[in-house]
Amino acid sequence: MSDLYSGTDLFSEFDRLQRQMESLFGGLPSSLRSSRFGAFPQINIGTTDDSIEIVAFAPGVDVASFDVAIDKGLLTISGERRPAQSDAGDDTRTYARERFTGTFRRAIELPQNADPDKVQARYANGCLSVSVGKRESSKPKAITVQ
Amino acid sequence: MNDKTQIAERDQEAIARHEGNQPARRMTLTPAVDVFEDSQGITLWADLPGVAKEKLDVKVHDGNLYIEAEAVVPTPAGLRLQHAEIREPRFARAFSLSADFDRSKIFANLQNGVLKLTIPRRDEARPRQIEVQTN
Repeated sequence: MSDLYSGTDLFSEFDRLQRQMESLFGGLPSSLRSSRFGAFPQINIGTTDDSIEIVAFAPGVDVASFDVAIDKGLLTISGERRPAQSDAGDDTRTYARERFTGTFRRAIELPQNADPDKVQARYANGCLSVSVGKRESSKPKAITVQ
Repeated sequence: MNDKTQIAERDQEAIARHEGNQPARRMTLTPAVDVFEDSQGITLWADLPGVAKEKLDVKVHDGNLYIEAEAVVPTPAGLRLQHAEIREPRFARAFSLSADFDRSKIFANLQNGVLKLTIPRRDEARPRQIEVQTN
């Protein structure tokens, strides 16, 4: 369990600050690959000897709206998160709106040895866990010395 | 040994004692929230992915509202982390509550990793329309 997280996140507060700055001064060019800030859902990736485990932290998403697909070694997780409170009347004041709403799409490049026929996805407590099996030939094998 | 080193040594001991007494402060994530207010009260939504009901603690203390939670994501044994955007399983955030709100009637609901808190206004603090009568 503890393996899913690594140590302390000294930068989470800086991430938040940067996200806020980005939303204020949005539109400035950034690296194509820098999906770290403001990306929804946030993703952790780990591997075991038998599988590649991807966890997408996507709370409050309707299971039916998830679309998980593998195409040419690229795993994509897409879907939509609807606003929690859409019926904002005239007398409703909004003090904070930090939570992501709208459609999202995240892509993960799978290693060569991933087997697209062995995929399992599960949504629990707002986390989407995707497990992709590895091909038999790529699993570690002990070699007997004669 | 001169006086100076003795002073330095004493200081070090003081710091060590101080650290020993203090429980280690753990790093936490600040969950994203939506906060709305209408005539009935406040509705607060907080993203707590991976948090089950048993690991969520919502409390009111000294006029502050505290949300503390721990995420537990089941993973297979022998997992080696390769990439992490969430590096800390603990969430914490605090808000101050004004006296207008009825602290005894806060309602909390956790679904799919989203916490919904309903904090009603006190009856006497609700806006009231006063009917004007004419004779």
